[in-house]
Amino acid sequence: MDVALKIWRFDPETGERALKHYNVEAPEWACLLDVLDIVKDQVDGTLGFRKSCRMMICGSCGMRMDGRAILACKERMKPIVERGHVPVISAMGNMPVLKDLVVDMTPFWTKIRRMKPWLDTGYEEIPEREFRHTQEEMNPIHKESLCIMCGCCVSECNSMESDPEFFGPAALAKGFRFVGDPRERAQVERLESYNDEHGIWDCTRCYFCNERCPKGVDPRDAIAKLGAESIKEGIDRDLGAKHAKWFVHSAKTTGWLRETELVPKTQGVVSAIKQTKFAISLAKHGKVPPPVPPHVADRVQEARGLHELVHSQGRAGAAGIVQGEKALSRIEHPSDGDGA
Amino acid sequence: MTTSSRPALAFDAFRKADQIASLLVEAQHDVLIVGAGLAGMRAAIEAHDAGADVALISKIHPVRSHSGAAEGGINAALGNASEDDPEKHAYDTVKGSDYLGDQDAIEVLCEEAPADVYQLEHWGAVFSRTEDGRIAQRPFGAAGEPRTAYAADITGHVLVHVLYEQIMKRDLQVYEEFFAWQLVENEGRCQAVISWDLVNGGLKTIGAKTVIIATGGAGRLYQGTTNAYACTGDGMTMALRLGVPLKDMEMMQFHPTTLSPTGVLITEGCRGEGAYLLNAEGERFLKRYAPNAMELASRDVISRAEQTEIDEGRGIDGNVLLDLRHLGAERIIERLHGTRELSMVFAGVDPIHDPIPVRPGAHYHMGGVETDLWGKTSLEGLYAAGEVACVSVHGANRLGGNALMETITYGKRAGKAAAEWALSHTTVTVPESLQADAERELGTLLDRTAGERPHGIRDEMAQTMHENFGVFRREDRMKRQGEIVAGLRERYEGVVVDDKGQIFNNDLTQALELGFLLELAACMVEAGLARKESRGAHARPDDYPERDDKNFLKHTLVSWRDDGPELSWEPVRMTKWQPQERTY
Repeated sequence: MDVALKIWRFDPETGERALKHYNVEAPEWACLLDVLDIVKDQVDGTLGFRKSCRMMICGSCGMRMDGRAILACKERMKPIVERGHVPVISAMGNMPVLKDLVVDMTPFWTKIRRMKPWLDTGYEEIPEREFRHTQEEMNPIHKESLCIMCGCCVSECNSMESDPEFFGPAALAKGFRFVGDPRERAQVERLESYNDEHGIWDCTRCYFCNERCPKGVDPRDAIAKLGAESIKEGIDRDLGAKHAKWFVHSAKTTGWLRETELVPKTQGVVSAIKQTKFAISLAKHGKVPPPVPPHVADRVQEARGLHELVHSQGRAGAAGIVQGEKALSRIEHPSDGDGA
Repeated sequence: MTTSSRPALAFDAFRKADQIASLLVEAQHDVLIVGAGLAGMRAAIEAHDAGADVALISKIHPVRSHSGAAEGGINAALGNASEDDPEKHAYDTVKGSDYLGDQDAIEVLCEEAPADVYQLEHWGAVFSRTEDGRIAQRPFGAAGEPRTAYAADITGHVLVHVLYEQIMKRDLQVYEEFFAWQLVENEGRCQAVISWDLVNGGLKTIGAKTVIIATGGAGRLYQGTTNAYACTGDGMTMALRLGVPLKDMEMMQFHPTTLSPTGVLITEGCRGEGAYLLNAEGERFLKRYAPNAMELASRDVISRAEQTEIDEGRGIDGNVLLDLRHLGAERIIERLHGTRELSMVFAGVDPIHDPIPVRPGAHYHMGGVETDLWGKTSLEGLYAAGEVACVSVHGANRLGGNALMETITYGKRAGKAAAEWALSHTTVTVPESLQADAERELGTLLDRTAGERPHGIRDEMAQTMHENFGVFRREDRMKRQGEIVAGLRERYEGVVVDDKGQIFNNDLTQALELGFLLELAACMVEAGLARKESRGAHARPDDYPERDDKNFLKHTLVSWRDDGPELSWEPVRMTKWQPQERTY
């Protein structure tokens, strides 16, 4: 098949950046990586990109196609060719470009290291046999251990775009891989550290990382689990944690988010008073209900049911079903399972 | 100290280096390890823990290593799924090797394997679990017991990441994206490695009291291979060029289940979980080849059976079918989710509903750099471990699950031995002339502006190796392949590299990789012609269909003399198992 694509080239030796158009003949089964190889072999040997396993496990070939982070070895070209589309290939975002499609991943690995990414069992001498843990106990870190460190989530991270110091989805998912491990003995120290500035509460919950992760790691879910574990351990010094706590409390007791109370509960009374004018303005426009008397939703039981469900799951909830939609669907279909 | 020596590059700010910048001995270490897959990282950890100053050189980041693509598992007689012991493991391995494996090396592996696996678990490896919470073990080909410990079907991935975690914990120096090109011998010792720095450009020489090569295999010799682009036999050829012999190079394993058309690996774990192999007629054809073990016969046996079915017209577009459907969705999703993902992405087949088209593909080099039981090669100061090495644990046919175990156990042993030697010797000297020679040689390649691009040679090599040195071998074909490789080597002398730049010039390194591969191809053909029998992966159905223990119960050794391979033989080391007829 005849494949057309455009590639954002960057020549570090001249500083020149240009969108170049390529047309090559490729086999029907070709993925983007195969096409890049053909371009490099037959058209321009200076094209720079990383590759190795070509089977979605080494994490080398993270890049962007039409502005979306992908693994080049995972993207089949045939459907793209069939719809007559000419994709634009560029380097991943949020990392400096070294050459063409090659980014400098040093900042990425610095953040991974920041997480102290190794199991801390609390002892140095290796015992004679393995730890005994059931599959159910190990399952909470299943998704996080699928991570191949390709950088796609970091490329797409909106928080990191505004705060380059943000730990980022890959590092935090790696963090949960240890916090959620039943063999780990330094959970609390880890949670303390991950609650620092630029840590878990700086995530904007845009879910781009979940959407773009080529391996189904769902880094945002890992960040949510870190938040839940932190609050459970009483680590709630961050505004984000206070916000989340009040959010849950409000939803559980009334079935609503009581925004007028959210600000004082999260930011403190002084800060809240400073925002009184803004609050009155909101109330005038009907954006927030009056604070008194507390309004309780008709179907508050549903909200409480959700809360109960998440609580009863405990660590097992960390296996992945912590998000609202999934939990809710289980409440609505009690006959399907044990959720209700 | 951080692991990366790379400067913070911005779009407009970078160092314009000289054409080939070279600094005499950038750094010096006690133990320098080339290759940062499982064997290399395991060696680094052991050498560090023994007190040595350790560094790793790797042309790709450690977690990108091809060890991570291993799927099915790692063999150790833990006895978690049945009564098992290291002796049974050793016997299965000896038999599986078609009696070409060195039995002392096999016994070491099987004895040390259980403790080494427990250590991985305590370092954090996320193994799948039995009902009572122990490490789960599944049946694998040609193993008498369910012995293969696993992490679903991403065992290699899990182990690569856990070892890299331990590398980070120890804060070991890693020269990332350094393409090792030459080993430096001086005063009869290996004392340095010359590398091309991919990120910044330039040749860099790093001195060391001992060097361990752990660069993996050379599957890229073949068109249909499970191997990554990185598997280009670098360490084998670098050692060969210093006069170190390669052992059993004719023994290239063809894995029975590689995905059509790309060659991506479909794990033996599928068959371990109970999958069937079917021909075009829907027949479980293995009943005619391995009636007892069926789909769990050894890999050489199954690959030959598949190739015979395909050659005799009972294949489907050059494939047979791997049928998982009867395992059920739940088991496939829980234990073989990676396989399902690969099948869906690369073949458009969901194994829950349809069988997967598979065929034999080049997978693993049983042969490699000859070492002793501590990874030591014939050159003082040079060690080797993992697929690049040949101890020999696998002989003429490797059992599934033994490769990962070898990387760990022999990586550990090489690391320990290299550290001990390094800590009792003090000096490292690298003559400037060696570096000047390397620069001149590279300059010749980079200065060439007209000539053939390497890919034509690469593709021709890979295609002809498949045709003439594949699952079945024939005298005339092998001879023709010898001539083809000689012709390709001649053409290679005139290849041209498009990219003349310094920053991330992998056009250059890919050309150098092709040079490595071509020399190995020549060695393989030489050894293949000399072995006039059928043993393990080396099958000669037309002229020598039987194993010949009288004349060939011995290893081939190929050395490089006067720009060509030279063959010699070495006896197999036997301990307690005499050769027997091998049926499954």
